Amino acid sequence: MIKRLLTYILPLMLTGCIQEDDFSDTPNGNFEALWRVIDERYCFFEQAEEEFGLNWNAVYEKYRPIAEECKSDAQLFDVLGDMLAELRDGHVNLSSIYGTKFYWDWKLNHPINFSDSIQRNYLGKDFRLTNGIKYTTLPDSIGYIYVESFAGGFSTDNLSLMLLNLKNTKGVIIDIRNNGGGMLTSAEKLASAFTDRKIHCGYIQHKTGKGHNEFSRPEKIYLEPSKGAIWLRPAVVLTNRGVYSAANHFVMLMRELPHVTILGDTTGGGSGLPLNSTLPNGWSVRMSACPILNAQGEHTEFGIAPDVKADITAADWQQGRDTMIERAKEEIFAIYDKKADKEAE
Amino acid sequence: MKNVISKVTLLIAALALAALPAASRAQHFVADTIIPERIAVKSTTYGITSINSLDTYLSGYSFSGGGVHIQHESFRDARTGSYRWKYQTIFNGMLGYTTQGNNGEIAGLASYAWGGYHPFSIGKRLKLLAGAQIEVEGGALYVPSNGNNPVSMKLRAAIAASGMAIYHFPAKGKEWTARLQADVPLAGAMFAPEYGQSYYEIFGLGHAGGTVAFTHPFNSPSLRYMLTLDIPLKWRRHSTTLRLSYTGNIFQSDINSIRCHIYRHSFGIGFARTIFKIKQENKIKAYSPF
Repeated sequence: MIKRLLTYILPLMLTGCIQEDDFSDTPNGNFEALWRVIDERYCFFEQAEEEFGLNWNAVYEKYRPIAEECKSDAQLFDVLGDMLAELRDGHVNLSSIYGTKFYWDWKLNHPINFSDSIQRNYLGKDFRLTNGIKYTTLPDSIGYIYVESFAGGFSTDNLSLMLLNLKNTKGVIIDIRNNGGGMLTSAEKLASAFTDRKIHCGYIQHKTGKGHNEFSRPEKIYLEPSKGAIWLRPAVVLTNRGVYSAANHFVMLMRELPHVTILGDTTGGGSGLPLNSTLPNGWSVRMSACPILNAQGEHTEFGIAPDVKADITAADWQQGRDTMIERAKEEIFAIYDKKADKEAE
Repeated sequence: MKNVISKVTLLIAALALAALPAASRAQHFVADTIIPERIAVKSTTYGITSINSLDTYLSGYSFSGGGVHIQHESFRDARTGSYRWKYQTIFNGMLGYTTQGNNGEIAGLASYAWGGYHPFSIGKRLKLLAGAQIEVEGGALYVPSNGNNPVSMKLRAAIAASGMAIYHFPAKGKEWTARLQADVPLAGAMFAPEYGQSYYEIFGLGHAGGTVAFTHPFNSPSLRYMLTLDIPLKWRRHSTTLRLSYTGNIFQSDINSIRCHIYRHSFGIGFARTIFKIKQENKIKAYSPF
């Protein structure tokens, strides 16, 4: 009683309280809280409506009676997870002691286009590993860099030493297939090693209010040159549908560089910077909240198409050959051939 | 000539003798009216604090828990003039841990306030003081489980109206002192990101424009109230008292549709010491700026 008096009533008497959302820790309360926080903070309603006809109010009508019937927390967790899956967004998750609900269809319904078994044929045993980045020199003097994740904190020095070790190659293949993201700053750090000047690469927005269309003016995103080694020879970025979030951001940055080619499959997307919140029962919810647009002002939430489309063919798959790496090598050779032709003219 | 010298000597001696009691009285008078140049009550209290925090940038629901608290106060007379002004500085530091369900939050805040007061005595025992305060506060609420928005930074400065009532009363043969103080911020500025703005955008990309908001009682109704009790100690020098304190710190804001409150109730114990800047301490020990 005294604690309640001190915590709520005294401040209320003296100042007028600013209080939390008015939802109870019940199945209904948690359902309402989740629907509301998405309604107010999620940033891709307009795109989802255009892309697959999402109607968030209809989702409420559909799931409210189901949530009401939930007899246990585990059941409620499944129902709320299903409701979030209606957004078809890999950045929308619900986490509790029962696990984390993910939406995976953005990559599961597409060709895998990557095999670590096949990759072994290229990396061999003598590859170098620097803070999560594997790299080696392939036959024909092509550098191969595999970045599995941007969650690690590689440094500018790591990248500089890597590029110095590859300095005798004709070009590099930057393979980010199945890179599900991590830190935007890591993606930017790697991309900055491929430009010698400041380049406008996109825009970022954020919500300014609770309405579905209340957004700030798009602010420009620039890619600044690295303070370490900079690679200006041909570079090919390999992508598949597993390229998501910060990795999608990396592709968005790299595609603005003149000596870089994006090769492979359309990326998985995930261009909204996700933010977190919680429900009355303490479950954590994450949702896309800040849209990042490309340099042309277009959304990349549903993926970025490659400059050169390529898939691993069934025949190559059986022979342990990576069609996409082979195509990337050809792209680099073609650039040198074109250059030689020009010089001959 | 010798007679003249003798007369002058006698006259000087007589004048000296006559002046001796007067000089003695004058010296006594000066000693009695010694006014200390700087006299201050300095106190440090340590204690525990209960915390209830809400920041809708992090979560729509409040976190509750506790922590530790330190408060250092200096209360003194004006350096010059006729003691019509009192100055106060207060440092408050708090570090706490709160929870909401399975989510934990670390809360850390530090503030420094400087205030000036004009005293009004009402009777022998009660003194009222009215004045103004300038306060700066910095800190953060940190929820490690929030991926891209784990921190809500708190940076603010405000001008506050401040008042206090000081009451001296006898108890157990000594004079105890109780004080109630209230500070109400009237105008200021605080760091306030927009509704869905990430710190990546503000600090990573440098899009920090518009992240400072003007605060007033309608968008940030806040209050700090403090109750102290100074109890003289038998085994300590007269100028040292035991201090028991309660501080209620109510910070609230509703800016850019981000609602925040941090309610703290801190109980502390420590010592308050009256500090004199002059050597004749024994002659003015009964004096206190309180």
